Amino acid sequence: MKDTIRRGAADFLNYKYLHGICVITIALSVFVISAFGLFLINAGDLMVSWKKGIRIIAYLEPGADEETRDLIIGEMETYPEVAGVEYVSSGEALDWLKEEIGRQTALLEGLTDNPLPDAVEVSLSGDIDGADAISSLAARMEGLDGVADVEYARKWIERFGGIYNLFRLTSMILIGLIVSAVMMIVANTIRLILYSRIDEIKITRIIGADDAFIKYPLYFEGMMLGFLGGLAGLVLLYAAFFITVPQLSSAGLLVYFQVRFLPWNLVLLILLISMTVGWIGCYFSIRRFLRF
Amino acid sequence: MKKMPFDPERTIIRLYDVSKYFGETDALVNVTFDVCRNEFFFISGPSGAGKSTLMKLLYLEEHMSSGYAIVDGMNLARIRRNQVPMLRRRLGIVFQDYKLIPNKSVFDNVGLVLEVAGIRSRKTVRDRVMDVLEKVGMADRHDAFPPTLSGGEQQRVAVARAMVGNPSLILADEPTASLDPEAAEMIFDLLVSAHSEGTTIVITTHDRYLLSKGCTGSIYLKKGQCEGPDGACR
Repeated sequence: MKDTIRRGAADFLNYKYLHGICVITIALSVFVISAFGLFLINAGDLMVSWKKGIRIIAYLEPGADEETRDLIIGEMETYPEVAGVEYVSSGEALDWLKEEIGRQTALLEGLTDNPLPDAVEVSLSGDIDGADAISSLAARMEGLDGVADVEYARKWIERFGGIYNLFRLTSMILIGLIVSAVMMIVANTIRLILYSRIDEIKITRIIGADDAFIKYPLYFEGMMLGFLGGLAGLVLLYAAFFITVPQLSSAGLLVYFQVRFLPWNLVLLILLISMTVGWIGCYFSIRRFLRF
Repeated sequence: MKKMPFDPERTIIRLYDVSKYFGETDALVNVTFDVCRNEFFFISGPSGAGKSTLMKLLYLEEHMSSGYAIVDGMNLARIRRNQVPMLRRRLGIVFQDYKLIPNKSVFDNVGLVLEVAGIRSRKTVRDRVMDVLEKVGMADRHDAFPPTLSGGEQQRVAVARAMVGNPSLILADEPTASLDPEAAEMIFDLLVSAHSEGTTIVITTHDRYLLSKGCTGSIYLKKGQCEGPDGACR
């Protein structure tokens, strides 16, 4: 093992130029894919924060007593999609309305009775997934005894959710295509490296090297290429993130949520995948060279 | 031709009715000969006679199309893929075009044979490599890289690489063909010196000067066939 690593590392340094090209190729690929990932993660965060801002208002039937109200609130609090429940009496609603319409409160002065119903305002947890889940929750709320009607921004949620889902699907397909292209590019770059070393490999075999002697250092080199390329790509992405985000913040584009970099577990996963891609590239290329 | 009894203690190479075809082309046809241990053996013949193909069959860079061959006790017709490296480790091979790894130093090129053979002790590797480089007169250039050496020097390194594993058999395929007479003489002397230490030497050549230096056995190939009685060379 130690010997394999020593030979792999020595060969890695012997072919600096070709390995450098391969590392740059992987780095740029990792940069593009990770940038997509970073965008998706932050778009997801934006979605969660937006969902947290969604309110479903359940209007109570006129004359619903305190017991019914408490039963409704208690039931709603048991729903996992619900983050908070707040009772808004018809009086509070009227006061809020007066405050909102400001100088035009005169319009309301003629009212003898308060026309607004008592209501329960429900805020959602960020876990709720999609417009259908919100509709389903609203339907359950509407089915409770004592609830007269339920109101929420159905059309807007459906439109926004549709756009987000389309974007997510497109991104996933693009990431899949890019990953496939990257794997082919990396495998071909590694194959070019091996082509440049075919004489060396042939000579080594002719003097008695077995397959293991030849391929294990090359596997190590492939993983090193993947690791260094992955690391360089992530460093590049972090640098871009570090430069761009403060500028977006100062331009007032990031008011509603905090942009974050890729989490550590994803960074480690990307490095692991890069190493695996390097190894796979080597594995398939070497198989051809070990046939003679 | 009648098959002679095979004595592995005495015979290091036996080829019997060996043929090699590349598509429609007959590279070797029914070649039969024995090489005894500690022989200094020539395979001669004009260019295109099949000498290099014969050599490649012996170290299994090519596989024979038909026939029967034993090299240092290993039956080449039945050898398994994972036994090929073991056969090659028993051989030292010298090529006309040296086949040194250009980005490895002279020391590393020669030491690679020992690494491949599984010798891990750095001291043993260093001692054996320097010893053999001393023999071929290249010890002072041990850290040079092949492209900086002359043809004669590169071939001396190639001979050192062939000798360092103490092989029972050295196969030299036109080892002097690319060299000037002085360098060729030096390479030949190195092979003679290896032979005097007990190594069997098989050399392919079409160089009349080398052939005139004498040997313990030889065959002559022409158009892939051995020239001799009964199609056998010896």
